[in-house]
Amino acid sequence: MKILTTVKKVVDVELNMHVKDGALVEDGMQYVTNAWDENAVETASQLKENNGAETTLVSIGGGDNTDIIRRCYAMGIENGIHVDDPALEKADSSIYAKVLQKVYEAGDYDLVITGKQAQDTDSGQTGIILAEYLGLPCVSNVIALEVIDDQHIKVSRSGDTGTEIVELTLPAVISVDVSINEPRLPQMRGIMMAKKKKITEMDLAALGTSADEVGADAPKSEIIEFMASQSRQAGQKFEGDAAEITAKVVDLLANEAKVI
Amino acid sequence: MAKVLVVAEIKQGVLKSSTPELLSKARAIGASTAVVAIGSNIESLVPELAGAGSDTQYIADDPGLELFSAGPVAACVVDAARQFGASLIWFGFSESSKAVAPRVAAQLDAACATEINDISLNGDQIEVIRPAITNKVMQRVKVNTEKLVAVVRAGAFEATEGISGTENVVKLSPPEMDLKALVREILTDASGEIDLADADIVVSVGRGAKDQAGIDLVRGLADDLHAGFGSSRAMVDGGFMAHNKQVGQTGKIVAPTLYMAIGISGAIQHLAGMSGSKVILAVNKDPEAPIFNVADYGIVGDLFEVVPILQEEIRKIKAKQ
Ligand SMILES: Cc1cc2nc3c(=O)[nH]c(=O)nc-3n(C[C@H](O)[C@H](O)[C@H](O)COP(=O)(O)OP(=O)(O)OC[C@H]3O[C@@H](n4cnc5c(N)ncnc54)[C@H](O)[C@@H]3O)c2cc1C
Ligand SMILES: Nc1ncnc2c1ncn2[C@@H]1O[C@H](COP(=O)(O)O)[C@@H](O)[C@H]1O
Repeated sequence: MKILTTVKKVVDVELNMHVKDGALVEDGMQYVTNAWDENAVETASQLKENNGAETTLVSIGGGDNTDIIRRCYAMGIENGIHVDDPALEKADSSIYAKVLQKVYEAGDYDLVITGKQAQDTDSGQTGIILAEYLGLPCVSNVIALEVIDDQHIKVSRSGDTGTEIVELTLPAVISVDVSINEPRLPQMRGIMMAKKKKITEMDLAALGTSADEVGADAPKSEIIEFMASQSRQAGQKFEGDAAEITAKVVDLLANEAKVI
Repeated sequence: MAKVLVVAEIKQGVLKSSTPELLSKARAIGASTAVVAIGSNIESLVPELAGAGSDTQYIADDPGLELFSAGPVAACVVDAARQFGASLIWFGFSESSKAVAPRVAAQLDAACATEINDISLNGDQIEVIRPAITNKVMQRVKVNTEKLVAVVRAGAFEATEGISGTENVVKLSPPEMDLKALVREILTDASGEIDLADADIVVSVGRGAKDQAGIDLVRGLADDLHAGFGSSRAMVDGGFMAHNKQVGQTGKIVAPTLYMAIGISGAIQHLAGMSGSKVILAVNKDPEAPIFNVADYGIVGDLFEVVPILQEEIRKIKAKQ
C-alpha cells in the first residue's frame, strides 16, 4: 500500500495573534506542523509498521517548510515532497487541492491521508475537494482505521448522530481527527537520520503544471482583511464560601441574566 | 437577484433550527429562496419547510438515504442547486455539512467557505466574515466566483418571526449510492438526549470531574435544567464521553443562551466551540483558569461541592417562578 500524507506548516495558535491594518502581525509568530497533520503522519507511520505501507508526504509552502518535513521523517515517513512556488502565495483550498492532485497523479498512491483541518484556515476542505478532483471516495473526520485487505479499509467517522462505520475501496482519501491517535514524539536517533534524508523539491513547472492550470491566477476566494476577534470580556468572578457564592450566582442567572 | 438554496438540516426526522435561520437571512438580503431536504421519510416536512420561508422545496426522499453518506447527499444538493440556478448554497453547521459542502463546491466549481459568521452582498460581490486560526482572528473573504457554497456557524443568524414561503415541491430522483464508500452502520448514542446543537442550555463537563462519578454528578445538573450535556476533549479522550458530545474546535460549535463549563480549563480549542454563547458560567477551582476570561459568571470552587449547591439553588428558584 502506498500512502500520501499531506502536511501543512501553520502559525502556532497557542501564541497571541495581533492584527494591524487588516493584516496579521508576523513579528513574534512561530510556525509548527499543523496538529491534525501530525495525526495523519502518525496514521501513515502505523500503517508502515503494521501493514508494510510505503509512506510519502507532501507539503506545499514557502522555503522553510523543510524543518517540518524532517520532523515528519523522524516520525517515520520515508519520502518527502516539498512544493514551493511563488504563484501559490495566496492559494485557497481549491488551488492547494489542484496542486495535490498533480502530486497524487505523479505517484501511484492507494491512500491519501490529510488532516481534518488546518489550524490557520480552520477550513477542513482541502482533502475533500482533492477527492472530488480525483474522483475518489472520501471519508472525513476519521477517528479509527482498520485495513481489511489490499483494496479495502474500514474507517470510523465521528458524525452528527454517532460513529459512522464506512468501508472504503482504495484508492481513497481520508481526513483524520486528532482523536485517531497520539502522535509520537520524534526520538533523537530519528532526528539525526532525518537530517541526512533527501527532500524532493518541486515547483509548479516540475509538477508539469502552471499557475493558470491550478487556478492560482484567479483564486475562487481571497482573504482581503484580518480583524481582531470580538473577544468576550471577563465578567464577575466569585470566591469564598461555596454555598454563599453559588446562591449569589444562581440569583444573578435568574434575575440579572434571566437565563434560567 | 441572488438565489439562495438552503440545505435543510434534519436529524431523526426533525427539522433543526438552522433551516429557518438561514432562510430568514436569505430573505433579509432580498434573495429568492429554495430549500433542499434529503433523507428517508421526510416528505411530511414540506409544510414546515415552506413555513420556514422557502418558496421551492426540493425533496430527495429515499430509503437509501436513511444512513448519512456524503456522496449521495452532495449529489442531491448539486441536483437541486442546478435546477434552482442557485448562486448561494448554504448549510447549517454540522459534521455532515462539513463533509458535503466542499464536495458540492468542487462539483459546481464554486468557492467554498466553512464556518462563516456573516455574509454580505454588494451587487454581485459576495463577501463573508469567518473566524480563523482557532478563532483567534476574523477574516473578511472576497468571493471571486458567481457561486458560493457556505457552512454557517451555529447562532450566526436569527430566525425572523412571521415569515413564510409557499409550497412548491420538486421531487429529486434518488442519487446513486457510493459503492466505494459504503456506510455499514451508525453507532448511535443514547437517543432521546437533548441535542447539543440546538439546546437552549448546555452543561459541559471537563477533566476536573475526574471520573464517571464526577460526570454523573454534572449530568444530574444538566438533567435538572433539561440542558444538552457536552464535554471537553479531555473527557472524550478519556473514554468517558462520546465523540459527538465534544464541544470545541474539532467537535460541536454551540451557541446556547446559557453555557455552563464545569471543571473545564478553557483551552483555546474549547473556547472556539462555545464562546458564541449568550451567557457563560464557569465553575473551576483554579482562579487563574482561562475559562474565567470569557465567563460572565465565575465560581471559584470545587465542583464536587459547588454542583450539588447549584442544583439545590436552581430548584429553589424554579419553585418560586
Ligand atoms: C488540534 C486540537 C484540537 C482540539 N479540539 C478540542 C475541542 O474540540 N474541544 C476541547 O474541549 N478541546 C480540544 N482540544 C484540547 C484542548 O487543547 C484541551 O486539552 C482540552 O480542552 C482540555 O480539557 P479540560 O479543560 O477538560 O481539561 P484540563 O485542561 O485538564 O482542565 C481541567 C480543569 O479542571 C479544573 N479542576 C480540577 N479539579 C477540579 C475540581 N474538583 N473542581 C473544579 N475544577 C477542577 C482544573 O483547575 C482545570 O482548569 C484540542 C486540541 C488540539 C491540539
Ligand atoms: N499547503 C498545504 N500543504 C500540504 N497540505 C495541505 C496544505 N493545505 C492544506 N493541506 C492539507 O489539507 C488539510 C485541510 O486543510 P484546510 O482545508 O485548509 O483546513 C490539512 O490538514 C492538510 O493535511
